[in-house]
Amino acid sequence: MVDPIGGGMVALAAAIAVGATGIAAALGEQVIGSAAIGVMAEDEGFFGRGLVMTVIPESIIIFGLVVALILLFVTMPTI
Amino acid sequence: MFEPQAMTKVIIAGSKDYMGISIDVLYNHNALHIADFADEDEDFKIGKPYARATKLSERTVSLRSIASYLSITGKEDIQNRYPEGAITDEIDEKTEHLNFEVTQVTDKISGIDSRIKDINDKKRLLDPLKNFDLPLELYGGYKSLAVFVGTLKGSPAISDITNDYELETVPYGRGHAIALFVPKEFEDDVLKRLQDQSYSALSLPEMGGIPKDILADLEAQLAELEAEKAESQKGLNALRKTYIDYILASDEYLSIATQKAEAPLRFATTKNAFITEGWIPTKNLERVQHDVDSATDGHVMVATDASEAVSAEKVPIALENPMPTEPFEVLTKAFSLPKYNEIDPTTFIALFYPFLFGLMLGDIGYGAVIIGIGFLVQRRLKSKGIRDLAKILVYAGVVSIVFGFIYNEFFGVELFGKSGLIPSFYAYPTIPRFENVLTLLLVTLVIGILMLTLGYVLGFVNEYRRHGLKHAVFAKVSWILMLWGGVLVIIEILPPLTSGTAISVSSALLAGLAVAVVGFVFLIMGEGIIGIAELPTLLSNVLSYSRLLSIGISSAGIALAVNQLSYALFFSKGGVFVILGVLMLIVGHAVNTTLGILDSGLQSLRLHYVEFFTKFYSGGGTKYRPFGYVRKYTEEQ
Repeated sequence: MVDPIGGGMVALAAAIAVGATGIAAALGEQVIGSAAIGVMAEDEGFFGRGLVMTVIPESIIIFGLVVALILLFVTMPTI
Repeated sequence: MFEPQAMTKVIIAGSKDYMGISIDVLYNHNALHIADFADEDEDFKIGKPYARATKLSERTVSLRSIASYLSITGKEDIQNRYPEGAITDEIDEKTEHLNFEVTQVTDKISGIDSRIKDINDKKRLLDPLKNFDLPLELYGGYKSLAVFVGTLKGSPAISDITNDYELETVPYGRGHAIALFVPKEFEDDVLKRLQDQSYSALSLPEMGGIPKDILADLEAQLAELEAEKAESQKGLNALRKTYIDYILASDEYLSIATQKAEAPLRFATTKNAFITEGWIPTKNLERVQHDVDSATDGHVMVATDASEAVSAEKVPIALENPMPTEPFEVLTKAFSLPKYNEIDPTTFIALFYPFLFGLMLGDIGYGAVIIGIGFLVQRRLKSKGIRDLAKILVYAGVVSIVFGFIYNEFFGVELFGKSGLIPSFYAYPTIPRFENVLTLLLVTLVIGILMLTLGYVLGFVNEYRRHGLKHAVFAKVSWILMLWGGVLVIIEILPPLTSGTAISVSSALLAGLAVAVVGFVFLIMGEGIIGIAELPTLLSNVLSYSRLLSIGISSAGIALAVNQLSYALFFSKGGVFVILGVLMLIVGHAVNTTLGILDSGLQSLRLHYVEFFTKFYSGGGTKYRPFGYVRKYTEEQ
């Protein structure tokens, strides 16, 4: 039986890990994305490199996601 | 397949007398990528275009203006190709005749247009007066009376200036239309008063009669003109139908003739000779050499130049992939064309892109829908780029169905097994996604490690070709060692870390550490201390592949939510609600399919561009543009 308070805390922690990193990634991509679109308006050949630049901050949310998955599926059953 | 088409650098030189015929032969082969000559000096000058170029351009301009009058865009298909000889014989006469016919009609149309505009102007001016019964000629021409005709806000209040006035007023728009007659001596005062009420005067057209009657008359004229215009437009359409083949064909003929006539601008010439450099695909070389030689009796020579073949910077790139993987070239091109001595990644994209896409989407229903969309787009749209993307979508859909069977998902519903839609059929073990999150997470990371390793191996090949073995080992083998050493270490220490027990020093752990350290030393030797800055990317690159799981789960989660909500809200109530439930299912799954295509498509692409390509691919090649033309509307003779 999962301890309700501890389990709730773990679930909250997982939510914060995904939510906060999501916001952070979005803030980063907002700046790069608008700049990349600007360059693409000048030169459509920039699409590939523009995409690469734009998605760099995405690693942040991937880290958050991995943390959340570990919390939910590794830590949670031990509580 | 793994490399761009082999090119041979050629130098073509010969007597100027044979330049024209050489241009014809080269143009017909459509194989030579000309390196434009730019550095003039005392001996070599940029060639002069043939005199006919000017006339050809003039013809092109007049033909295109006709084409634009007839709204011919140059993308239409025609039934039969036009023989080129039929064009050259009569192009002047026919274009002139066509020009005459078309301008006759278009002049008429523009005449009608200007009359329509004129009438509309008059209508606009008379509109405020439509409820006045006074004939138009009585609104002016008095010696002792001033007349104000126009619109203003509110109604005029001038009784304190004079009571000697005549006023007609009707509500119009937000204010009133007025016709005000006052003695001349009060004109200035009244005008001032009216202007306070935003008076705007109407400059009446010089016509006679009751405004209402005039308006009706104008309306009738307008209808007549519109009919006349429609008639002329019909004539124009008839002309378009008759001449579209001819116009498209002669436009093509003129483009070809102009390109040929202007070709010397790209050559270097001396007083008596011409010379040009360029690249020809090696497979076409012999035929071009032979044909130029026989057409010019050996007066023009196509010589190969091996000296520069090694410097791959400027060699034009033509990708060469077999039919099944050819559509994926569009993804390579969207990133950048490879350099000449670089591996063409198209084959690898063809292998991995649909695989990663299907792994994420993984649903029999969505896969089938996507295949349908792919075929539909291929049938309906003509653009090569879009059709290629549609073909890729079909591949991706097939793999999605395969993974759909593995995950046992059909539009988010369990398909086989006891609690599935088809309970009687249970023939193979499935891996439902929601119950195997950790296993699948591991699978995605393994896929990541394998793809990165392949990336480094390909990078090793590229580096070896460009900079030799030592550099390749330091730059790429270092990373492979660190990656696999790190993997060994993590396998050993992760279980104790998560369960909180002590880490035991095993031989596998030591081996992993040793391998990683060797890799690290290679890296420092190759790139210097700055290489450390790139170390964290290794971890983030591998973890990045966990998106394969998360995107998939969110897509499956949305499908599940749509199904459960439609059941709880509508289907469980029965009756009319069933229709609403079906509607919700259709809309919900349509939205989720769109999301699935965009998300899986972009994320799979990203894993290629960001994680995979950065290990071996830099690109930046120049596109191969052969000197020639692919005829669409004309036939050579």
